[in-house]
Amino acid sequence: MARVKVKSFSVIRDVLGSEVVEIDVRKPETVGELFEELVRRYGQPFKEKIWDPNSGQMAPFLIKLNESIISSTLDIDHKIKNGDEIAIIFPIGGG
Amino acid sequence: MAKNFPYGGYMGQLLRVNLSNRGISKEDLRKDWARDFVGGVGLTARILYEEIPPKIDPLGPENKLVMMTGPVNGTMIPAASRSSFCAKSPYTRSFFHSIFGGFLGPELKFAGYDGLIIEGRADKPVYLWIDDDRIEIRDASHLWGKDPFTTQDILRSEIGDEEIHIATIGLAGEEKAPYAMILCDIRAAGRGGMGAVMGSKNLKAIAVRGTGSVSVPNMLRVYNTAVRINELFATTPAVQGLSGYGTPRNVAAMNEGGILPTRNWQTETFKGMKNITGEVMREQVVKGDRACFACSINCTKYSVVPKGPYKSVINGADYETIYAFGSICEVDNLEVLCKADELCDHYGIDLISTGVSIGWAMECYEKGIFTKKDTDGIDLRFGNADGMLQVIEKIGKREGLGELLAKGTRDAAKIVGKGTDRFAIQNKGLEWPGHTCRPFPAAAVGYATGPRGGSHHDIRPTAEKSGLVDRKTLEGKGALAAEVNHWLILGDSMLVCHLAEPIWGPLKISDSMINVLNAVTGWELNYEQARKIAEREWNIIRCFSAREGFTREDDQLPIRFMEEPVPEGPMQGSYIPKETLERLKDDYFTYRGWDLKTGNPTREKLSELGLDFAVKDIGKGN
Repeated sequence: MARVKVKSFSVIRDVLGSEVVEIDVRKPETVGELFEELVRRYGQPFKEKIWDPNSGQMAPFLIKLNESIISSTLDIDHKIKNGDEIAIIFPIGGG
Repeated sequence: MAKNFPYGGYMGQLLRVNLSNRGISKEDLRKDWARDFVGGVGLTARILYEEIPPKIDPLGPENKLVMMTGPVNGTMIPAASRSSFCAKSPYTRSFFHSIFGGFLGPELKFAGYDGLIIEGRADKPVYLWIDDDRIEIRDASHLWGKDPFTTQDILRSEIGDEEIHIATIGLAGEEKAPYAMILCDIRAAGRGGMGAVMGSKNLKAIAVRGTGSVSVPNMLRVYNTAVRINELFATTPAVQGLSGYGTPRNVAAMNEGGILPTRNWQTETFKGMKNITGEVMREQVVKGDRACFACSINCTKYSVVPKGPYKSVINGADYETIYAFGSICEVDNLEVLCKADELCDHYGIDLISTGVSIGWAMECYEKGIFTKKDTDGIDLRFGNADGMLQVIEKIGKREGLGELLAKGTRDAAKIVGKGTDRFAIQNKGLEWPGHTCRPFPAAAVGYATGPRGGSHHDIRPTAEKSGLVDRKTLEGKGALAAEVNHWLILGDSMLVCHLAEPIWGPLKISDSMINVLNAVTGWELNYEQARKIAEREWNIIRCFSAREGFTREDDQLPIRFMEEPVPEGPMQGSYIPKETLERLKDDYFTYRGWDLKTGNPTREKLSELGLDFAVKDIGKGN
């Protein structure tokens, strides 16, 4: 089990209720498992902010893992560990 | 369907107004051009290629200002209220399209016209009143010198109709300031000096009232398509959030990702960000949401600062306001940013070029290149909020330092010298929006080769900055940039809003975009056919630039992005060295079938696209 801090903004922050929340991630302790846990905890309101209903997969967005940048589409199996800080850099379109 | 026009969505008619001889004519829209170039920007590029000789003075009577709609405008399709002003730009000196939302485009169609071509120059200030079939060129002496919103109030009052829609210029447009904009009700055709072109024609305003409607071949099909697009807006993650926070939803996330341009792009992380986010804006100043015609997104925020030195009422702020006056100038006071936005509307100047020009001047000051003698006594350090507002006023009035900055950073740096071009954040003369390319190669080559230069609507960095594609590789980035060009230009011809990017793109022209176009027009285009139209449009615009003398050498990035890596944050070390850009250009030109040496479309490419008429102008030597 890895306890990580998740930081979010805008509509995702609204669903999580706070800019930073702490989440316990079960094995295999990956980025993908973190988002599965977020869905279990926050349910459909979270899922519809993250999952693309047309593709049935997570939408593309960037994830800041400590000081490095990874992506929801390319790095879903990326390992995370206790104490990691993760920011959901999403959505970043428009403007 | 419109009388004598075979395709749905079109009114089948253009309005032409010659201000020199006060000639007004209505002419049939060419069916072949509608089919080959759709409308909006693509169609206007074809018209202006035909009608404007090369090398004319953009502020002379030979230039033409065209307001054009697309077939989708005025139907129930959401995010399709856009319209375009196009001309040869006095700022970038080539074809320029400046897009705006709101209600004016649909209203012009309801009056019976797909587009409006303005020629010549009036001998005194005038405004144009379009009331369905009745067209009048009216005296505007009493409006000259008035700001855009006051002008709109006067016109609505004297015409006696609160619901007319109006495009108007401010003082900057009257003075032909290079980056003067056109305010269209509350939305702006902000970029590229279209307001200066309008001012050069002594045309203060265009007021429109239309009582007709847009016909489509199969109403049920259009209705079902609109329902589907609205469903996609409601369920697509990247569109959600625009309703609540508008485009400023991006501020905090982009800062976290290390891609919020700061301190005139010296870095891309802003320490004062937490005070100017979309979330803070919503809590502190937003009083309501506003939508464009038939749109369910409601991205425009109506904001009020009720009292104090920064008292203001604006439709914004948008992300670009927060970027241009906030992080670029290191001002972390949201009320100041609202005031800056209001001042730009008041004078009628493009807020991106204004903010980035002030950021350049602040860097000149902090480097000791400018002293207080150059800044009219203002201590123009980064973060000086009141100093920044003073300089906006000076740009609007073209006083003192404002006269220099009103020319934009390219020309100002030429005048000042001393290496200040190295931190002038522009290419092809146009200041950059708040979307970086330093970590994103496809975006870099897209910006460099785009017809307008610093426009995030000729390329979108979204695919790379969302992780949809691998941002670190150079492979395939020429092709990606070209296909993003294609969905953008087809969108600008239909005219749909780029904010719905995941629906219309984001990697290439989407099925949704083609479905909308087919439903409205009655065409049955497949992907290859739609792509060919877009490619034709992109090539005719490139031909326009080539005919003006632009070549591969003009496809550059701001020097800072080619020489200075991002110094901190998650994107630390990212930049696009000159040799990398040249490699990307080779890749892009090869994919496009353009000549590698000149960057021009080849004779074969032009022939393939049915643009043989352009070979004589630019095909030589290919």
